[in-house]
Amino acid sequence: MFARHNLRSAAAPLASLLALATVNSLAADTTAPAPEAWGYLRPQFYGDRAIDIADQSTIVLEAPATTPDPAATPLTIRLGAEAIGHIKQLRVFIDNNPSPLASTFDFAPGARVAEIGMRVRIDRWTSVRTIAETTDGRLEMRSSWVNAAGGCSAAPTGGGNGALGDIRFRNTPDGKTLQVAIRHPNNSGFQIDPVSGNPIPPHYVSHIRFSSNGQPLLDVEAGISLSENPTIRITSDAALPEPVSVDVTDSKDAHFNASWRGPATAGEIISNAAIGNR
Amino acid sequence: MIAARLACAIIGLAAGTRAISIATADTAAALPKFTVSQVAAGVFVHLGQPLALDAPGHDDIANIGFIVGNRCVAVIDTGGSVRIGRALRAAVAVHTRQPICYVINTHVHVDHVLGNVVFKDGRARFVGHSALPAALARSRLYFMTQFGGDLDQPPSADQVVPPDRIVADTLELDLGDRPLHLRAWPIAHTDCDLTVLDERTGTLWTGDLLFRERLPAVDGDVAGWLQVDNELARLEVQRVVPGHGPLSTDLAAALQPEQRYLRALLSDVRSELDGGESLQQAIQHAADSERPHWLLWDSTHPRNVTRVYQQLEWQ
Repeated sequence: MFARHNLRSAAAPLASLLALATVNSLAADTTAPAPEAWGYLRPQFYGDRAIDIADQSTIVLEAPATTPDPAATPLTIRLGAEAIGHIKQLRVFIDNNPSPLASTFDFAPGARVAEIGMRVRIDRWTSVRTIAETTDGRLEMRSSWVNAAGGCSAAPTGGGNGALGDIRFRNTPDGKTLQVAIRHPNNSGFQIDPVSGNPIPPHYVSHIRFSSNGQPLLDVEAGISLSENPTIRITSDAALPEPVSVDVTDSKDAHFNASWRGPATAGEIISNAAIGNR
Repeated sequence: MIAARLACAIIGLAAGTRAISIATADTAAALPKFTVSQVAAGVFVHLGQPLALDAPGHDDIANIGFIVGNRCVAVIDTGGSVRIGRALRAAVAVHTRQPICYVINTHVHVDHVLGNVVFKDGRARFVGHSALPAALARSRLYFMTQFGGDLDQPPSADQVVPPDRIVADTLELDLGDRPLHLRAWPIAHTDCDLTVLDERTGTLWTGDLLFRERLPAVDGDVAGWLQVDNELARLEVQRVVPGHGPLSTDLAAALQPEQRYLRALLSDVRSELDGGESLQQAIQHAADSERPHWLLWDSTHPRNVTRVYQQLEWQ
């Protein structure tokens, strides 16, 4: 859908902004993002099944109208009380991205997941939508427009500490929310090495599997729309039973894993170099 | 209230000095007027407007200007478009017959460099931080696509002019009985911040190491920026030309609001992250007490929080 020579998908390097958040509307002169992509995607993923617009009490999609950072746009999907435990699958689409399906979350039966947070690359003005499939087979959608430019081609930042595959957990004091950060470039394939001028090949996190106290919780199929150093945040309606383990696979079939064993281990960088599975 | 203070500052500056107006054929339609003020003997400043990067007039938001020596002229930053660059070049010609020998860029940002090409005449040397060439290389495509309308048409890569003389640490330039002291700083506002001190008048051009009234934009490293601000605050100068906002004669005092915001940003984002709070929550809550003190909060602060949050995540 998106050729690399498309000017709108050009680099928006972090080092070149005063306030990137406001830039995109220079190029935008219409009143809604181009809608064609969804017409193509919808039958591909859902055939002719009915898709209802979810009530706000069932699903909320929280997305900024204008992104603070096209390469790291925060999205949160919040499930209402009656939806928790009754969702089978949840997909996130970014219609106008080169790879529109940003993530698929498959819920383990009965998984008490109340909220999922993620950070994504957004390449241009687009609808962002989440579609939930309930355990009784209905499809429910929420969507939102996000104004952005250049998120998929933004130059890597590479800053900070940590090595490929390092994993870091952070939790809220009530133990209901766990944020998992994975040290990984998550190169989209649309980035250009500023020194050589050559494209940087795609190299991204493809799967993240969560389990809690030995039971499967959530299986995430990820991809190039996740931001550098992918971060997934899950919230339950009760404290998550320890340990929460994550098993990460990337596009080169490298495996990284780590376990959260309660607040005492929060914030530690758990290295995968030591266990030799890179 | 901030806007009113800014207006007063501009009027105050103009009243005490000689303000002139340039409107060339090229710029008359697009720009209401382009004014420079002589803020000290031979030191001319054009004050940028407090506008967002997508607002009409977004190419004229940075403070830019020039210094006139006995032999030649140094231009310091060139504005956010070739139009602004041309207006600045015309303003130089009104005030002196000396040739322009140096074009100094204080850092990589679009609002400070896009006028460079106007000064490329084979004689002027372009001067910048040793990290500026790489930073411009990262930015070139972005400038051409997102700010192509601010270049001559059609936008081309060679209009984004890199330095041909770099500053790794410090550099003395002489404009003819007029030494300039240039200093390259560690990563702060960006990774290529450069200050210029006109020794004769004690005028320090900080580039965007100092924002006044307009909210500071973090593109480098907050902790590094705070360290640089501490060093800047110890300098003894007669006046300071910030990258954005009005001039001041008290550098240490002028730095205080920026230092206060950056400290709040750093410590609040850190505690949000340590408390397991999300990026959205951090955007809403971090440094919120600072909001009333700054212009362009909504277009700049969320981006700052996002950047700092991601940096601290892996520190």
